[in-house]
Amino acid sequence: MRRAFALVTGSALAVALAFLLLPLFALFLDVSPGTLVSALGSSVALDALWVSVKTALIAHAFVLAIGTPAAYLLATRRFRGRAVVVTAIELPLVLPPAVAGIALLAAFGRRGLLGGALDAAGVTIPFTQAAVVLAVAFVASPFYVRGAIAAFEAVDPNLLDASRTLGAGPARTFRRVALPLAAGGLGSASALAWARGLGEFGATIMFAGSFQGVTQTLPLAIYAELDLDRTVADAIGALLVVVSAAVLLLTKVLPAWTRSTFASAIPFARSLST
Amino acid sequence: MRRLAALGLGLVVAAGCGGGGGTQKEAAPSATVFAASSLTEVFQRIAPRDRFSFAGSDQLAAQIQEGAPADVFAAASPKYPDALHDDGLVATPRPFATNSLVVVVPSDNPAGITRVADLAKSGVRVVVGAEGVPLGDYTRDVLERLGREDVLGNVVSNEEDAKSVIAKIVSGDADAAFVYVTDAKAAGGDVRTIAIPESAEPTATYEIATVANAPHPVAARRFVRLVLSARGRAALEAAGFGLP
Repeated sequence: MRRAFALVTGSALAVALAFLLLPLFALFLDVSPGTLVSALGSSVALDALWVSVKTALIAHAFVLAIGTPAAYLLATRRFRGRAVVVTAIELPLVLPPAVAGIALLAAFGRRGLLGGALDAAGVTIPFTQAAVVLAVAFVASPFYVRGAIAAFEAVDPNLLDASRTLGAGPARTFRRVALPLAAGGLGSASALAWARGLGEFGATIMFAGSFQGVTQTLPLAIYAELDLDRTVADAIGALLVVVSAAVLLLTKVLPAWTRSTFASAIPFARSLST
Repeated sequence: MRRLAALGLGLVVAAGCGGGGGTQKEAAPSATVFAASSLTEVFQRIAPRDRFSFAGSDQLAAQIQEGAPADVFAAASPKYPDALHDDGLVATPRPFATNSLVVVVPSDNPAGITRVADLAKSGVRVVVGAEGVPLGDYTRDVLERLGREDVLGNVVSNEEDAKSVIAKIVSGDADAAFVYVTDAKAAGGDVRTIAIPESAEPTATYEIATVANAPHPVAARRFVRLVLSARGRAALEAAGFGLP
């Protein structure tokens, strides 16, 4: 009986692994490593890489700068309506990307809610890199904020209280105690948000359009090259698989790494005394 | 709460039964038609019962090459049907419609466009079809013939099908776009149309073919006959297409 059950769970795992890995494996088999590398050197791929990295970096800077303090507040304060606020922040997580695209147009498009005001200020957002940044930040930020709330909640509140009773102000407590203790969780949330942002497709193509070197990110380039030059599409796909795997690995390694360095009692005590 | 859940489940089951009964009543199977996005309105009018996948002709050709279960392929240029025919994937393509290009601007014409040359003015946000998409290739032909390739310097987005191009004008987010006359007509009052000099107009010929491995070969042939019939031709003409 016990062996039969082990057989069932074991074969279920084998099926799941085969199903999930076969397409990725096939992607790498589609083209030889040599052509893969030379295809990545094409101007479409290089331009898309540059657009993706640039927009993802800018979006990520905003997500970290605004998401970190916001998550800290949500993790450490209990107030009426907190659950509603958390749900609202998490909403883009489950929203279809096409909805994100049309919603961003409704808000920032030329005829959108803020379109008139932006137009008066001489700012047009659709079809610019700013539109890509907005789309990426919109879909990726919930991944970070959600993880950051969990990371801050995992910090022992007694340590925060101790810091306060020892005379550190709230800002100093945040900087010297909460941030280092939550660093692992924050890093892993940040990596996850980065990966989601890099993969953004639906909201970007609707809100920012697709233009090589300006708004055509790596996923948009895959879409555009699918019928023009399949090798380039495959190469970009393979590149994104490698990047995603690396990021995922990072999210597994980071929390463990901080647990073994920051969170041990002795270095923490030292950091307070300095 | 539990009763509410039970009621919900009952409704789902009832809806499922209703759907099942409906499909059983239909005698002939419907055709799955892969068609250029510019055919969206007219094909649905000609054959409301058939199933359609509207996209860029190049994308659809790639899908058929990958073995997509299409019965009919209708493209906005002979390029892709001919290529698929050479590979033995579709029957001999037949021309069934022609189209021409116009410039469209949002109804409030924010960039003050009155002629094609205005599209090259600095700051005008132009949207076109991507290269490889029939509309995109026709657009580049037109600009070359007009000697106005400088307009391409104002392009802010290369779209993957004709409907995505006009959508950017209907929403008002771009200043001008090159689209098919038929798409401009379908958009009605949401856009304003500016003609392209006759001498620069491309010959956009649409071709249709049954797919060699069509899952519903009878329905496929019926659909092609319908499009080529007097009724089909009348509907195409009413939508603004030319007839070959």
